[in-house]
Amino acid sequence: MSARPLRVVGQPVPRVDALEKVTGRARYVTDLTVPGMAHAKVLRSPYAHARVKRVDATRARALSGVFAVLAGADLTWCDPYYGPAYRDRPVLAIDVARYEGEPVAAVAAVDEATAERALELVDVDYEPLTAVMTLEEALAPGAPLVHAGQPPAGHFADLSTLRPQPGTNICHQFHFARGAAAAALTGADVVVEDAYRFPSVQHVALEPHAVLAAWDETGALTLWASTQNPYSVRVELAKMFDVPLARIRVVVPHLGGGFGSKTYAKLEPLAATLARVAGRPVRLAASIPEAFQTVRRCASRVMLRVGFRRDGILVAVECDADYDVGAYADIGPRVVQKGTYTATGPYRVPHVRLEARAVYTNTTPGGAFRGFGVPQLAWALESLFDVAADRLNRDPVDLRRQNFLAHGEEFAPGDTPIDGKLEESLSRAAEAIGWTRASAADRGRGVAAMLKASVAPSVSEAIVRLHADGSVTVLASAVEMGQGARTVLAQIAAEVLSVPLDRVTVVQPDTAVTPYDQTTSSSRSTAMTGRAVQVAAEDVREQLLAIAAPSLGLAARDLALADGAVVAASRRLTYAEALALRFGMSGGELIGRGVIAPGRTAAPLGGSTPFWEMAVGAAEVSVDEETGAVRVERYVSVADVGRAINPLTLEGQDEGGVVQGLGHTLLEEMLYADGHLLNGTLLVYRVPRADDAPPELECRFVENADGSGPFGAKGAGEGSLIPVSPAVANALARLTGVRLRELPLTPERVWRALRARSSRT
Amino acid sequence: MLRPFTLHRPATAREACALLAGLGEEAAVYAGGTELLLLMKLGLLRPRHLVDVKRIGGFGDIADGPRLAIGAAVTHRAVERSALVQARCPLVGSVARHVANVRVRNVGTVGGNLAFADPHSDLATLFLTLDAAVELVSPRGSRELPLAEFVRGPWETARASDELLASVRLTPWPSGTAAAYVKFGVHERPTLAVAAALRLDGGGRGGGDRILDARVAVGCVSPRPMRVAAAEASLAGASIADVDGAARAASEIAAASVDPADDLYGSADYKREMVAVFVRRALRIAAARARGAEPSERFPHAVVA
Amino acid sequence: MSGGVTIHVIVNGRARDLEVDVHALLLDVLRDGLDLKGAKRSCDTQVCGACTVLVDGLAVSACTYLAVEADARSVLTVEGLAEGESLHPLQRAFVEAGAVQCGFCTSGMLLTARAMLAENASPTRDDVLHYLRGSLCRCTGYRKIVDAVLAAAETVR
Repeated sequence: MSARPLRVVGQPVPRVDALEKVTGRARYVTDLTVPGMAHAKVLRSPYAHARVKRVDATRARALSGVFAVLAGADLTWCDPYYGPAYRDRPVLAIDVARYEGEPVAAVAAVDEATAERALELVDVDYEPLTAVMTLEEALAPGAPLVHAGQPPAGHFADLSTLRPQPGTNICHQFHFARGAAAAALTGADVVVEDAYRFPSVQHVALEPHAVLAAWDETGALTLWASTQNPYSVRVELAKMFDVPLARIRVVVPHLGGGFGSKTYAKLEPLAATLARVAGRPVRLAASIPEAFQTVRRCASRVMLRVGFRRDGILVAVECDADYDVGAYADIGPRVVQKGTYTATGPYRVPHVRLEARAVYTNTTPGGAFRGFGVPQLAWALESLFDVAADRLNRDPVDLRRQNFLAHGEEFAPGDTPIDGKLEESLSRAAEAIGWTRASAADRGRGVAAMLKASVAPSVSEAIVRLHADGSVTVLASAVEMGQGARTVLAQIAAEVLSVPLDRVTVVQPDTAVTPYDQTTSSSRSTAMTGRAVQVAAEDVREQLLAIAAPSLGLAARDLALADGAVVAASRRLTYAEALALRFGMSGGELIGRGVIAPGRTAAPLGGSTPFWEMAVGAAEVSVDEETGAVRVERYVSVADVGRAINPLTLEGQDEGGVVQGLGHTLLEEMLYADGHLLNGTLLVYRVPRADDAPPELECRFVENADGSGPFGAKGAGEGSLIPVSPAVANALARLTGVRLRELPLTPERVWRALRARSSRT
Repeated sequence: MLRPFTLHRPATAREACALLAGLGEEAAVYAGGTELLLLMKLGLLRPRHLVDVKRIGGFGDIADGPRLAIGAAVTHRAVERSALVQARCPLVGSVARHVANVRVRNVGTVGGNLAFADPHSDLATLFLTLDAAVELVSPRGSRELPLAEFVRGPWETARASDELLASVRLTPWPSGTAAAYVKFGVHERPTLAVAAALRLDGGGRGGGDRILDARVAVGCVSPRPMRVAAAEASLAGASIADVDGAARAASEIAAASVDPADDLYGSADYKREMVAVFVRRALRIAAARARGAEPSERFPHAVVA
Repeated sequence: MSGGVTIHVIVNGRARDLEVDVHALLLDVLRDGLDLKGAKRSCDTQVCGACTVLVDGLAVSACTYLAVEADARSVLTVEGLAEGESLHPLQRAFVEAGAVQCGFCTSGMLLTARAMLAENASPTRDDVLHYLRGSLCRCTGYRKIVDAVLAAAETVR
């Protein structure tokens, strides 16, 4: 690798899609139309749990302008089940509806108004059944089962070892241990323990799920989908319709936000099914309330016992975590594994016993959401760390520093060693928040740290094409959902091939064109997809050097790329000239390929993480004690990213992560009563507004080029969100002496806790 | 998506009332549509006829007089920017500035807000302290009704189906009155709203220091907004310099007088306690204004006008 | 009036005669009738601001606004902000400040800010927060959006 300074990587360049987005030209799924397109609407179960005895679509089908009406019982000609962990989720409810909002029937009609009217003409007989709405209800002995019998496994190899508990609502169990935790806790000088609850929250991407499905006359299927993993959607549909992968094409335009809500198939199977039966393209777009009925974060109850020696050394962690994955498993089992795997956080702990369970309930399915199980655990661990610091009479920053894993240290046997310097993030965050300076009497400060593994094993492939005029096309399937993936990939290609950024085009993900990428999630797009692009670009570079060498009379190793040309001393061969040389004409292209597929390893989760995501958050809060309203006055996030390929987009992502974290910390919670979701609309589900952002918000990065990604990059985007809730709760505790264990810290919750404190003193 | 309807645009109140009388339940009164169109989109209301009141003469006017008359079709934005409102009832303009969001203010109307009677509407709370009365017109003529009698309960008013709310009449406070309005809540609509006005002896700033009479209204926590007469009485005679004690007493009376329910906006006991907190705070701010000061204190999730 | 009517609207500076249903919402007429896809349908309840357009310079929720109300008025959508290829200072500021991520809220943010600047050429940060109270963003955390609006205000001055 050249030691020459980087030209475009590391620069805060405006994103490559900024212009189309500020001029309204960017296209999202609901902006797309195809000739003959029908509009779909979905009839959803009003019950949390009910037998679907009869669905009569006769009147609906008779309505003029209706092309198809489907119910679960109609789906005899395909495999109607899908799901990445378990294939437990039917396209439309079959015999039983398992959550309020589950699709029971669907209509494709000439326009939305007709589709809505048709829905009203579908008659459904339900027989309500007892529902289990909470972890407690679902785990109670003799509780009604959300799923009778065990559904077949889904398409992820790392989840081939699903471990349900038959006869219960537990669909997966995760267990990890080393040393002798119980004995170590008995012998510990200080043990802190408690149960922490994390609520159900919804992603509220401003663009709800949307998909446009069209079958062609050859029986091939094309979808334009608002999805974070087109390849996962493709494999689900291939199985469902028994069509070869090559004949299913998933195209992804811009996403209006994702945050995990659009990972794995959601509405795509339904749209494809409707399109097949209707005999015409179908566009299915959810509303925001329907998004609340499609996916959410897995709520959790985490019981942790953490043991310390008197000198502050952390000796043992025991974890019993239950995650509410809702009515269908979605990727819940992996969330449970992933979250629990780093239950010990970024610390060295010799004795560990971690148990976690994924539990079905009759609620909206829980799936991936930024943080992927780790926010739920960090909420507990990082809160308890401060409780321990109090008991040990130690400074919380210092206690963390003492126990941090060191750069290069093993996290778990077989997994990647720690590839960053946690201490650096902590020091910078502490300094930025003014940790050692006395805070004002009405302010309190708190810190929290996090560690998260990225999905492994995983695969990213990329193709880079150098055209006859020296411009470049990057083909990769990282989805642009606002995080700036397209820009980062362009920067990487531009850097390796030494061309101006505006000579690089990154095409939209399209499984017919852009090669396999496992998923846009898990903070992996820079490190994995980016690395594939880098390797592909390097492949092109090698080809260029090989072409140029004889022409310039030099060995390839004596050549370099600069400003769109192969150069050596005063000799220069432009790419256009090189290609003309190679092909003997004006035309042709060089194609480079990159495949990043580390494969399975002996690591506990089946693959070694490509990088560790690590970050620290520090909050300074005030509280209006009379109302309990907490205000975050200042927040500092420091993320150890290896190399910020684009510091501008990265800072923007992390600012967004902090504020989204403030959502579940202070404001957001899906509330159920009598089996119904009470607040599935933005009128009564409160997401952060502009004036909720901390007046002082700093997002900073540690860059030691120590990652395995391009130019030493690692991953980012989740690390800014995960520490928010414990940092804020720790700050609140230091300010008021009150320790809350349930989120969100709404004014009323804080007010009650403050009153309880007052009545105790 | 909206289902088809016929849109009527009468030029006079008489015409509008005749339409309402003739169409009965098939018709809905339409001004800004910020509430009506939303309910129609949700399928909760399906009127086949909309009677648009925006073209009716006078409905878009703010008229001066012994009382300030705000036409039913006047938007919140127009109220916010009205020099007349600023001159006669400045707090009304300040409160209008904080209704919902800028888009709702540009289109939503005072009349629509009052006639819809959302239990979380905060405008009515303030208006109660201004002896507000609504003017209702019908084929039978016109009548005036005190706002407190007009708003009967959640989404329920005394308006007959063939009656139109034509205007709301506010009696500006005499000079020497200092007031404050505070609403508090996390959601789009507030958990509670408090309006407090203190009339001082001496008739002007820096004049007297005794409260001659007080107005205290609380909204959003009970089925309808209300004046709290007992709290008002407790404030009469109190000294501005010593307002904290009087405010505390008044706030406790106010808290005891409301009838909150547990809902997404808070549990009943929390709401009751917050009524006490914010009545106290509103009175403190009004008292500071009475002394010529403008308090800068602000509270998270609260709007102070 | 009922069924279909003709309205005369100046859309992004161009006079148009549009055939619309009386019950049609402005958002659908713009997106489907005029192919102006910049305004988005998101919450559909006037809370999020993704559907914001300016009618006679005032921000409205096009998702809950009858198209017929735009008759004899001018409507500005995000497509009308730039002058040809020349970006409006707000657009330029959003690009430079990194205030755009997924872009779904961007049209609404830009138009709301434009309306604000027409009323208040020297907004404070608090003024901007007040105006943007009804414009939600889930990606950016708002900081760069507010910075961009303030930067554009300075440029325009």
